[in-house]
Amino acid sequence: MSRAARKLILPGILVGLLVAVVLLAPVLPLADVRMMDVPGRFSGPSAEHWLGQDEFGRDVLARLIWGGRASLFIAVGSALAAAVLGTTLGLLGGYFRGVVELVTVRASEVILCLPPLLLALLVVTLLGAGTGPLILALTLLYTPNYARVVYAATLQVRSLDFVTAQRAMGAHPLAILTRTILPNVLPPLLVQMSLVVASAMVIESGLSFLGLGVVPPTPSWGLMIRAARGAMEVAPMLLVWPSLALAGTILSFNLLCDRLQSVLDPRQITAGGALWLHRPARKAAAAPQPAAPDAPLLRIRDLAIAVEGPRHGLDLVRRADVTVLPGQTVALVGESGSGKTLTSLALMGLLPDRLAVTGGEALYTTREGTTVDLAQLDDEGFRRLRSTEISMVFQDAAAALNPVLRIGDQLAETLRVAGTPEAGIPARVVDLLRQVGIPDPERRCRAYPHELSGGQRQRAMIALAVANSPRLLLADEPTTALDPTIQAQILQLFLQLKRDTPGMGLVFVTHDLAVVAEIADRVVVMYAGEVVEQGPVAEVFARPRHPYTAALIASVPEGGAERLVAIPGSVPPPHAMPPGCRFAPRCDFARPLCEAAAPVASAPAEGRSTRCIRWKEVT
Amino acid sequence: MFDLGTSPAPLVEAQALGRNFPQRQGLLGRARDIWAVRDVTLAIARGETVGVVGESGCGKSTLGRMMMGLDAPTTGAVRFDGRDLDTVRGPDRRRLARRMQMVFQDPFGSLDPRRSVGAQVGDGLRIHGIVPPADIGAEVARLLDQVGLPASAASRRPHEFSGGQRQRVAVARALSTRPDFIVADEPVSALDVSIQAQVVNLLMDLRRDLDLAMLFISHDLHVVRHLCTRIVVMYLGRIVEEGPAAQVFGTPAHPYTRALLTATPSLQPRRREAGFDVLPGELPSPANPPSGCPFRTRCPLAEAACAEAVPEFRQTGPGWQAACIKARPESVA
Repeated sequence: MSRAARKLILPGILVGLLVAVVLLAPVLPLADVRMMDVPGRFSGPSAEHWLGQDEFGRDVLARLIWGGRASLFIAVGSALAAAVLGTTLGLLGGYFRGVVELVTVRASEVILCLPPLLLALLVVTLLGAGTGPLILALTLLYTPNYARVVYAATLQVRSLDFVTAQRAMGAHPLAILTRTILPNVLPPLLVQMSLVVASAMVIESGLSFLGLGVVPPTPSWGLMIRAARGAMEVAPMLLVWPSLALAGTILSFNLLCDRLQSVLDPRQITAGGALWLHRPARKAAAAPQPAAPDAPLLRIRDLAIAVEGPRHGLDLVRRADVTVLPGQTVALVGESGSGKTLTSLALMGLLPDRLAVTGGEALYTTREGTTVDLAQLDDEGFRRLRSTEISMVFQDAAAALNPVLRIGDQLAETLRVAGTPEAGIPARVVDLLRQVGIPDPERRCRAYPHELSGGQRQRAMIALAVANSPRLLLADEPTTALDPTIQAQILQLFLQLKRDTPGMGLVFVTHDLAVVAEIADRVVVMYAGEVVEQGPVAEVFARPRHPYTAALIASVPEGGAERLVAIPGSVPPPHAMPPGCRFAPRCDFARPLCEAAAPVASAPAEGRSTRCIRWKEVT
Repeated sequence: MFDLGTSPAPLVEAQALGRNFPQRQGLLGRARDIWAVRDVTLAIARGETVGVVGESGCGKSTLGRMMMGLDAPTTGAVRFDGRDLDTVRGPDRRRLARRMQMVFQDPFGSLDPRRSVGAQVGDGLRIHGIVPPADIGAEVARLLDQVGLPASAASRRPHEFSGGQRQRVAVARALSTRPDFIVADEPVSALDVSIQAQVVNLLMDLRRDLDLAMLFISHDLHVVRHLCTRIVVMYLGRIVEEGPAAQVFGTPAHPYTRALLTATPSLQPRRREAGFDVLPGELPSPANPPSGCPFRTRCPLAEAACAEAVPEFRQTGPGWQAACIKARPESVA
């Protein structure tokens, strides 16, 4: 049985039991629900009456089960009827919009304007008390809820590409509604359903309690609560049983609908634990060592990043070696899943919660000339380095900037954290914005992020990153989301920043080889979590020494090749890494030897390295 | 209006196409016109791949949707095989849909996550009765094979595939109805380089084997240049240059095309010491376009005359024209 189906066992059994007991009421050996036994009124549980007797001496257990029959029938019946009606209205209104929306969703919303109890009273008064009118009243009451939920979900789904694809296919609108849209609006529908069943039971109880629902002597939970209330001082337990039944039933239905919703989702969402359950990384921070005078700005050796916890051994990055000299631009390049972003996040201490650095070292030389191992640093240590020593530009500036704070305030905040004197901050903010090329900085510093265009947001993001003059700037795909002319502007800005601050090292993470060629001095090519080749950009691109680098360059549609070189297959997922060389299964040069052991690094030339045993034959 | 030279009669034709998305300001405010596409005239013949390039907001996706008949034009008309798409409705329109298909940018959004790949590829076959119901399974397998996927893929759901594989599924779905015309809206932009090459190669093979007319929308100039026979460059909803790929990208006649080409990073970087030849400023708001030539606010060649009227197309070669009063073929350094 799949893990998903197993989640359904508990709520399934609970609801199944409930339904079975209620359905089997006529054949169960229960006492007659109307049989009065006045001498035995209010007597407690006994062998004959397991839950005791009520104010007329009737058996409470029998009345509870028969009452459940009425309550459940009304609640589930009206919830289902309202679901069918409301879903139809919502689907039609959401898909066709316009006039259809007016006569379906908007019309049903009129009902929402009436007080629910008043509406129920109206129906019951017109049609008389009883189960039928009650179901009708509740159905009317809940239809607009469904209609609205389904309408909102339909609006969301109808604009998705796969619905457009169905339209383009020439599918009939009704076929699109039932086959494509309905299954995709089902999750919110189920949540709504569980809420409505619960709420219908409460209203049924309430109406019965008022004497407008189920007619005595037919038992229902609402009637039982009503009767027990009068005798609360004498027999408090009489109130407890129907209330417990009501609460238990509602909880079981909620659980079932919740689980059903997660099972129906084909994408398995890995459940993340609560934030306070993540234990903070407790590492013995090594004392900073004085650095050698010619030490590079950053030297990463043999860095490994893995998933923590029971699935230990799932290494996402391993054997990463990168060296950054002051003033140098190093590009980390690779496809998605290559570990290039994780490597850069590890340098900032920003790895996602369940990931951790599990080996190797990342020696950073600070402004004071001491060496810090970033692989061993704790949160406090990173806090001291961030912004003033190491800083980062993120890919999506729209997501990385705080939407409710003005750009100038965010910059001021960053400057303040680094201890800039308060008096100098406003002028420095304007200076920074001018430096990154935002026009009219005096006025623009009062703008919110959404008021800036994509290119300007990225500029503001860069201003934030360089505010405290970091010595190492990490840029994670900073131009990927931008248009060509804006991308050129931002690349230009990076070049200019490097000219202005000669000692700053730049680590540029990208998947775009052409961008690498334009901006970087050295390139580090990563594949499936490993560094496969590195060296000076011009040399590596002119004569790649690893089959992956060679194939990557040949797959760029530049130059006159009639056919592009496509690398067959795709990057293996972390849990299914091939033994030996990770590129071997997709490699034209692969030999049996490649799968035996991971290749060691060779140095084809000064300052270059490659992890391929046949590097001499590549180009 | 333009010279088709020796090309065959067009399959799809857009005549002075325009799309307005009026935006109301406040409850009682006047609606402001926002033209996503203006005055686009374009023809695509069988076996021809027309590339549409431009930056986000230039109207290229809206143009694609209108050419597919998914969006109704505000002005002008789209004619497919001689029939005005706007006048064909109901069952007739759905039958016509068989002959035109679309491949979307995001392979994660264009497939229904809840249905198997086989069911989705088979939809078109069922809807249009292309093969007898009994043969649908075999036909789906053939289609999947055509895009390089195993037949076993049919029973799996989209989330089990990688981005490149999903995009192949999307292509297989588009091919299922045996269309004559395909609109591909940024089909490789969301893919990794090596995977992108797989899909580009696939599209080239299909064009050759099936004699398709294709509208290929992309902001990646290298891919467009590699794949397309003719190029349309758009800026702020208008075509600024149109012509054969070799000419438009070899010696662009419009200053915007030149700027786009210089801005595109290359494996062989040019003039690195001097930095990039950067086009200043950003795309103007379509709600408030500049008078006259839409590009004049950023154009290095702009002069007073540019603000007076939208420039007419000037013929710069056979089937090659640019909307600029200073249009002149010039190679990009």
